[in-house]
Amino acid sequence: MAKEEKHSVIGHPMPRVDARAKVTGRAKYAADIELPDMLWGKIKRSPYAHARILNIDTSKAERLPGVKAVTTGKDFGGFRWGWIGTTRDEEPLAVTKVRYMYEGVAAVAAIDEDIAEEACELIEVEYEPLPGLFDPFEAMKEGALLVHEDRPGNITTEYHWNFGDVEKAFAESYLVREDNFKTPRMAKGYIEPPAIVAYWPDTDHLTVWIAKGSPYFPYRILARCFNLPLNKVRVIQPFIGADFGGTKNDMVNGDFAAPMLAKKTGKPVKIVYTQFEELATCLRRHPVWITIKTGVTKDGILNAIQTRLVADGGAYTRMSPLSLYLMGCCMTLPYKLPNFKTDAYCIFTNNPSSAAMRGHGIYHTRFAADVQMDMIAEELGIDPVEIRLRNAIENPEPGEIYHTVNKLTVGSCGVKECIEKVAQAINWQERKEAEKIDGYLAHGVGVAAGAYLSGARLTGHNAAAAVVRICEDGTVNLLTGASDVGQGSDTIMSAIVAEVLGLELKDVEIKRVDTDYTPADPGSFGSRVTVYAGDATKRAAEDAKRQLLKFAAKEFGIKPEAMDIKDKKAFVKADHSKSIPWLKLVKLACYTTPGNVIIGKGVSTRGVGQVPNWETGEEDVGANYSFTAEANEVEVDLETGVVKCTDNSVIAHDCGFPLNPPAVETQVQGGAYHQGVAAALYEEFKMDNGLTTNPNLVDYTRPRAYEAPMTKVIHVITNDPFGPFGAKEASEGSCCTAPPAVINAIHDATGIWIKELPAQPEKVFWALKQL
Amino acid sequence: MREFEYFAPKTVKEALSLLSQYEEEAEIIAGGQSLLVIMRQGLFTPKYLIDVKGISALDYINRDEGKGLRIGALTIHRAIEKSPIIQRHFKVLSEMEGNLATIQTRNWGTIGGNLCHGDPAGDPAPVFIALMAKLKLASLGQERIMEVEEFSKDYLEVALEPNEMLVEIQVPTPPPNTGTAYEKLTVMKGDMGIVGAAVSITLSSEDGVCKDARIALSNASSIPLRVREAERQLIGKVLNDDLLAEAGQVASEEAETTSDVHGSAEYRREMVKVFVRRAARKALERARAG
Ligand SMILES: Cc1cc2nc3c(=O)[nH]c(=O)nc-3n(C[C@H](O)[C@H](O)[C@H](O)COP(=O)(O)OP(=O)(O)OC[C@H]3O[C@@H](n4cnc5c(N)ncnc54)[C@H](O)[C@@H]3O)c2cc1C
Repeated sequence: MAKEEKHSVIGHPMPRVDARAKVTGRAKYAADIELPDMLWGKIKRSPYAHARILNIDTSKAERLPGVKAVTTGKDFGGFRWGWIGTTRDEEPLAVTKVRYMYEGVAAVAAIDEDIAEEACELIEVEYEPLPGLFDPFEAMKEGALLVHEDRPGNITTEYHWNFGDVEKAFAESYLVREDNFKTPRMAKGYIEPPAIVAYWPDTDHLTVWIAKGSPYFPYRILARCFNLPLNKVRVIQPFIGADFGGTKNDMVNGDFAAPMLAKKTGKPVKIVYTQFEELATCLRRHPVWITIKTGVTKDGILNAIQTRLVADGGAYTRMSPLSLYLMGCCMTLPYKLPNFKTDAYCIFTNNPSSAAMRGHGIYHTRFAADVQMDMIAEELGIDPVEIRLRNAIENPEPGEIYHTVNKLTVGSCGVKECIEKVAQAINWQERKEAEKIDGYLAHGVGVAAGAYLSGARLTGHNAAAAVVRICEDGTVNLLTGASDVGQGSDTIMSAIVAEVLGLELKDVEIKRVDTDYTPADPGSFGSRVTVYAGDATKRAAEDAKRQLLKFAAKEFGIKPEAMDIKDKKAFVKADHSKSIPWLKLVKLACYTTPGNVIIGKGVSTRGVGQVPNWETGEEDVGANYSFTAEANEVEVDLETGVVKCTDNSVIAHDCGFPLNPPAVETQVQGGAYHQGVAAALYEEFKMDNGLTTNPNLVDYTRPRAYEAPMTKVIHVITNDPFGPFGAKEASEGSCCTAPPAVINAIHDATGIWIKELPAQPEKVFWALKQL
Repeated sequence: MREFEYFAPKTVKEALSLLSQYEEEAEIIAGGQSLLVIMRQGLFTPKYLIDVKGISALDYINRDEGKGLRIGALTIHRAIEKSPIIQRHFKVLSEMEGNLATIQTRNWGTIGGNLCHGDPAGDPAPVFIALMAKLKLASLGQERIMEVEEFSKDYLEVALEPNEMLVEIQVPTPPPNTGTAYEKLTVMKGDMGIVGAAVSITLSSEDGVCKDARIALSNASSIPLRVREAERQLIGKVLNDDLLAEAGQVASEEAETTSDVHGSAEYRREMVKVFVRRAARKALERARAG
């Protein structure tokens, strides 16, 4: 508790700095941007999942009145792009071959959206349809046709890691179990589909407003695509209508087509994807087939885990190498695991590409491992809470570090406390013993635990920076490259500045990303913003403070280090009565040396330097690790198979130290329910030979806000040594514990095991029939 | 969306004369909740759109003991759900509406639009069939009355002439000792039913024997489906749970279920059994309560 009282802004509930603009409808999203003379663009899409493009005839479209320009892939001069330098396998618009259904092959700019759409219909494309690969296991077979001619075996990425000696550990185990699990293709589920407005203010200067959570991705990619130096590409980030990974960090056909059409016409061009385009063509969560073999002692202590993962990566590599990395490397959290071996494959198919989604990677394997843990517990006659407590990693003593077998560095771990607290909050013992069946309804409870990394360390640029500018009236401007996509980071960054400078939240104004002015930053993904950009922001504020304190110290004739700022006062640490009000201090600083300007600069290098070893799977993939435990109650309709999560649901979260407690709680509720329970019960893209058969939000079932059970959130505070103010990742891990907790609860209620998510009614119904 | 010419008549007569002028080329739009979906998908491209939402004369709910209940075609779902008259005398209609779509859709979509859209998954039609409701269809200078049961012809196809519109739904006062209930299978409240069943049961006041029974299914065929064989399992008998289950069994044999992303044909068949029995239990309870 002492820690909390130390702070006057952070750690206290605060309203979001962007809330008013959003609820009053003033916040402008990319699709809201209107410029004089603006044209609308539309993408012409392939009706085949796999076909050679023989010819594209755009002449009829060009003749349609109102059409101003047409572009095809050839205009891009052979440019290819990808997530990193070695994975550039995708064209802005397909040139010789389409590899998934509705891949873009051309685009039109016209004076309105309807004409652009009509023009797309007039583009004549001649295809030679090819047989398609829709099942990764087919694609892995010897002699299977190839999605990319230069990628033998259709392997997107593969990992083979081995820690300890699993064979020996299995031989020594009391019980060894092998089970198969599967996770489905899922939509990311943001409300705002991809949108861009592109404009060339001059022939060698490109400006785009783009709906991306990571604006520095398009900044670099568009610079390469259009052969521009970075200082002539300006990416402006409007408000973002949520981003749960994938498409919002990455590019879509329209993100290339709009700048190209703008270049051709000299006019601004806007492309806004429809919900259909978003759901049918954009990045979705990988479906993964998981085989997991686990050996335990008689007391249920984990000896070894061996996994084999096969993921359907779809048509292009995108960020699959990272997804598969995360699926594997975090198997050693949150339980002690001395031996671990994995073989993981991501496979090219002619399905739309897969990519990151909140809970990235870990969600798949945590589901398999935590459901299997209940199977093991049942076989051994151990209570599910008890088996988890026995295996959970202990919280290291201050100054000590726990190293996993694959060399992840854990400086704080509240998972035990999380498990204990959720068990208590849900009345675990009482619930387990309660009568399960009442008429055709059965009730059950389930528990699961998990971990998540803060700040995915990738290869390439991973630094974060901030600039704090003190205005002469005592207010502060904050520039960072970090982007708030709805998670509340603008509030946290502002709060950190206010905390360090002894100000109130309202005194700090944060600017959204504009690559002409803000420092480069990888973006919002991998739960990295608070730990990296937060660290940079703290350093920038501290830098400004140091500069200011020089002026204060001069007044008292002491060293700046002997002073501090709090509650809008700079004071002598040894004698608080000696102080200068904030405003006076700022005026002193800005005016006594005429024309002086106070600008604080901060760079965080926490994410820089050592990156994980992709070959061996060793070393940290994050700056620190959050922990979670969740318990859910379900109600199963035994006659129909419909499962509901009741309001009796609780999640305990160790995010180190919650900088804005209500924001952590609501993010956890969103993660645990909307993306966790929804993944367990409802959401799945259904496919038919590469075609998504439910590409709309009526047939792709997802819960609405008003039917969400309000998961109770418990904070577990561990004050991590590696995060700013003791903070770690918050809430991304919460997406990972709900699926196993819910599936375990269904088992508790009914005795069935659902090993393929989601537990949709029909699946549950037939499983119940087989009991 | 393709361009169209738009009219917003203020009276039924104006609307009907526009219809008789443009016939097949014109389409009525009421709340647009169903129509705009298919227009946006480019599946339907009318040349003329006649927006009837402003015809306030067709927005009403009236009831008298003799004539029964009259609902104007432009009454919104939410009004039916919340109407004290309906809550008191036709509780099943209010309950059905309470689970139809989300509040946003109920606040704008109309009962007439729902019926005329002809979606076999729609909830109101089977309930109206169970309640022996009739429709009043009007064209310029003419009116005709048709049973709701006769109205649906095929998937999204109803028995409206190009120059006709639906103006009113007429629900007779049910005989004494009648209970009606509607149950549908949804994953979440407000979803379209994966299947649904409306059951109406009338008991004889003397011996409690089932005098009449009407059962209609949603989303179990290309039209709202009345299952007469299932009804026959009940009529003339003293009802018990086994008989209700039997009716469910027979209904599931009569159903012409198909597969889609929400469920296979076999699963739907199984669910017809469950939902006919559930609705029948509730209807029977209500009939017994008088
Ligand atoms: C998200 C969502 C969920 C839904 N869930 C459900 C549900 O759970 N259960 C359910 O039953 N329905 C559901 N619906 C359908 C909804 O009830 C209907 O869309 C709505 O009632 C249609 O009414 P409308 O006034 O909007 O009709 P419109 O869309 O305007 O018209 C529909 C059709 O009826 C014709 N039409 C309309 N009025 C007349 C008239 N007076 N005379 C002749 N023709 C006419 C139109 O020409 C058109 O062909 C859902 C719809 C949505 C969008």
